[in-house]
Amino acid sequence: MIQYLVRRLLWAIPVLLAIMVVTFFLARAIPGGPFDFRGDKQIPETIRKNLERKYGLDLPLHQQLGRWIWDAIRFDFGPSYASRSQTVTDILKRTFPISFQLGVLALLFALCIGIPMGTIAAVKQNTIVDYGATFAAILGVSMPTMVTGPLLMWVFALILGWLPAARWGTDYTQLYLGFFPNLLSGKFWLHAILPSLTLGLAYSASIARLTRASLLQVIREDYIRTAYAKGLPGRRTVILHGLRNSLIPVATVLGPMFAGIVTGSMIVEQIFGIAGMGKYFVTSVTNRDYPMIMGAVLLYSVLLVGANLLVDVSYAWLDPRIRYD
Amino acid sequence: MRLSKLAVLAVVGLMIWPAFAAPVILNRNLGTEPPTADPALGEDTTSIEIIEQMFLGLVDMDEITMAPIPELAARWEVSADGLTWTFFMRSDVFWVKYDAKAGQVVYDLDEKGQKRPVTAHDVVYGVKRTLDPDTGSNYAYVLYIIEGALEANEGTGSLDAVGVKALDAYTVRFTLIAPAGYFGQIASMWVARPQPQWAIAKHGDAWIEPENIVTNGSYVMKTWVHNDNLVFVRNPYIPAALWGGGNIDEVHCVTIVEDSTEFAMYLNNELDTLDGPPLPEMDRIKADPVLSKQLNIRPQPCTYYYGFVTTKPPMDNPDVRKALSMTIDRKTIVEQVTKGGQIPANTFAGGTIFGNAALSPEIAPWAIDAAGWDYDKAVTEAQRLLAGAGYPDGAGLEIILMHNVSEGHARIAQAIQAMWTKAFPKARFIIETQEWGTYLKTITKETPIENVPHVYRLGWCQDYPDQNNWVHEVLNPTLGENKPRLSADDPYVGAAIARFDELTTQAGRLSDPVERAKLYFEAEKLLIDEIVAIAPIYYYSYNIMNKPWMTRKWHDTPHWDTWSIDMELKAKG
Repeated sequence: MIQYLVRRLLWAIPVLLAIMVVTFFLARAIPGGPFDFRGDKQIPETIRKNLERKYGLDLPLHQQLGRWIWDAIRFDFGPSYASRSQTVTDILKRTFPISFQLGVLALLFALCIGIPMGTIAAVKQNTIVDYGATFAAILGVSMPTMVTGPLLMWVFALILGWLPAARWGTDYTQLYLGFFPNLLSGKFWLHAILPSLTLGLAYSASIARLTRASLLQVIREDYIRTAYAKGLPGRRTVILHGLRNSLIPVATVLGPMFAGIVTGSMIVEQIFGIAGMGKYFVTSVTNRDYPMIMGAVLLYSVLLVGANLLVDVSYAWLDPRIRYD
Repeated sequence: MRLSKLAVLAVVGLMIWPAFAAPVILNRNLGTEPPTADPALGEDTTSIEIIEQMFLGLVDMDEITMAPIPELAARWEVSADGLTWTFFMRSDVFWVKYDAKAGQVVYDLDEKGQKRPVTAHDVVYGVKRTLDPDTGSNYAYVLYIIEGALEANEGTGSLDAVGVKALDAYTVRFTLIAPAGYFGQIASMWVARPQPQWAIAKHGDAWIEPENIVTNGSYVMKTWVHNDNLVFVRNPYIPAALWGGGNIDEVHCVTIVEDSTEFAMYLNNELDTLDGPPLPEMDRIKADPVLSKQLNIRPQPCTYYYGFVTTKPPMDNPDVRKALSMTIDRKTIVEQVTKGGQIPANTFAGGTIFGNAALSPEIAPWAIDAAGWDYDKAVTEAQRLLAGAGYPDGAGLEIILMHNVSEGHARIAQAIQAMWTKAFPKARFIIETQEWGTYLKTITKETPIENVPHVYRLGWCQDYPDQNNWVHEVLNPTLGENKPRLSADDPYVGAAIARFDELTTQAGRLSDPVERAKLYFEAEKLLIDEIVAIAPIYYYSYNIMNKPWMTRKWHDTPHWDTWSIDMELKAKG
């Protein structure tokens, strides 16, 4: 197992390097540079040259690439072209914890809603319960967050007035270990409910559908019939013997889902005015903010590689027959 | 005895009472994270809004006339040849900062513990820092009218040779390369404001962070949590004459991008004022008896237009261009498509810019239903023009209209495509779109002609409120951006283009406002009616909502020190 982990981690290095190189060239392949335009207006040639010299964009490409990799290894991505008083590292350090908090809460919501819903639907297959749950899941998948977000905000903040309309409830400058919010703060939870629910609902639906499909297969297996035959109660059979085995496909999608969800959802963050990192994935590209593109993509890749590794390890726990030799 | 004691108590109480009164707080949404607070680097309205509050300029601009009025400079003189501008500054403005430990605004002291006044040297430093190639200011070009500025910014000349000098501590003189009637407006811009050399030297690019920043304006930055919120507090040390008369002590800004969220917060009384309610809500707001009273529609110095590439056949024929411009039903577009209170446009520069000719019935009256024109008459005339150009009913005409990807631009383009197709049923109008950065690259005049569309969409917003920034810098054939590719060699309207070139160049150099306005009027008329380089579509507008307790003034860049809140009314909700 340890050997497997070490091997996987070593493999991650060339993978990440390759991602860095590919991202570098892809970013520069987009027409236009970071200092061509200011809003609608073309930046005069002289000024563009000044800026490019200042940020080393006048160097030959291979030198820029070398510099970028060397800096990135030391976690130094340089200043963001779009917000020059901050470095990319500053921005990621500030925004990633917020997105991470939102993402983890959303994922918890998604799992807490998705798995029970999928299980009930599978056990009561082809009953009204199943149809109801499936219908809800389809609705959840098809309703974009840009609809559910404002809808929830409208109902719970404007009409009922129970929850604040927008923003994240932590003091951004006072996070524990630079990462965790004050979990005892009521303000945090009140602000967290609507955005996490909005983001979580979208994912819970696909989790529910996967759980249902996979559990349906598993409960037809012989060993489930054996469990019933030896007199185990239905609930225990399904949850202990059936569900755990059927979660392998769910765990598989959970890896990339986790990486995606904790690096922020541009839409949910924008709707609720949350200062997470989601928007940087989009604006860095439209601004041709090369250092920010690099930083964001690299962070996402590291998370993806890490999450997939976790998923692979979790297979062994979900299904003890799986070995890693 | 007792009574007099009581009286004394009452008087003292009344005197100190305001100190205990709750501060007047304005809750404002900036709409996005300000990319910077550095006067040398500001380039977008959000950054400029916070820079405006924190840094005074030599001059300010009048709320209504957009003419320069005294700010740091109590008065100024222009030499007879128009080449030297001398500003005489007041001596009672000091650099301040927010002391987080003491919880208040304090004077920024020098090594000897003395207050630092804002001097002519700070202005000279500010101008030179903006021009320094190492600063990387992308607005530096507006200062190129100053002697030696272009060379210094290019790196070919020395910063010492730039024509800005401190004659003494409070007198600063600018030497220009050519007379420029609009230099007052330039002197008011953020790139020409005094900057604190010592703070910048000490903290580098991070000097604008709240713990480092040193300023001199009406408000001082207290905190800035990037992408989330900023808090500003009133500068108690600013001379009374420079305070705008408002009553706001603290401004709490958030940076919400989503306009429906902003609107929800406004309805929830979490914001006192709102710039730009969501367009889908506009009909509801206008119909609502309460909300409609809170809505203010103000002209904005921006124009939405379609440009014609005049060297790409069949657009080389001005009659084709004019026919297309005439068949845009501008009234329908602002009333049915954009719905945001925009005004149909018949000129490039709108009504808030010096030298504009907006809505004059002498220029393109068909665009604004003036001088007996209406849309039907315009269509008939356009059909006649196009038939005369060899395309009866548009037969044989194939036009590519390009815009950058955006739902709003798409709706306008589709509406115009439908108008054109209805007027010229045999022509083909193709809409193409590109992502923003790529699009801007495509429509520059360097792109090979086969890759540019016939018609492109753009908007222009002022850098400073003078026609020089409009017809000259955007469209002048030799010195402007000239995306329509105008040239004096044009076989159809070459003479008019040469005249247009001369007019806008000449008008920039004169200092007599009446004479300048006359030249700009003629230039607009040539541009829209004869050359038809662009089809102006509408002038933008601001839709601003104010809570009943909120009073705003209407400077183009908000001046918070002129705004007021009625706290009693606010407390009632």
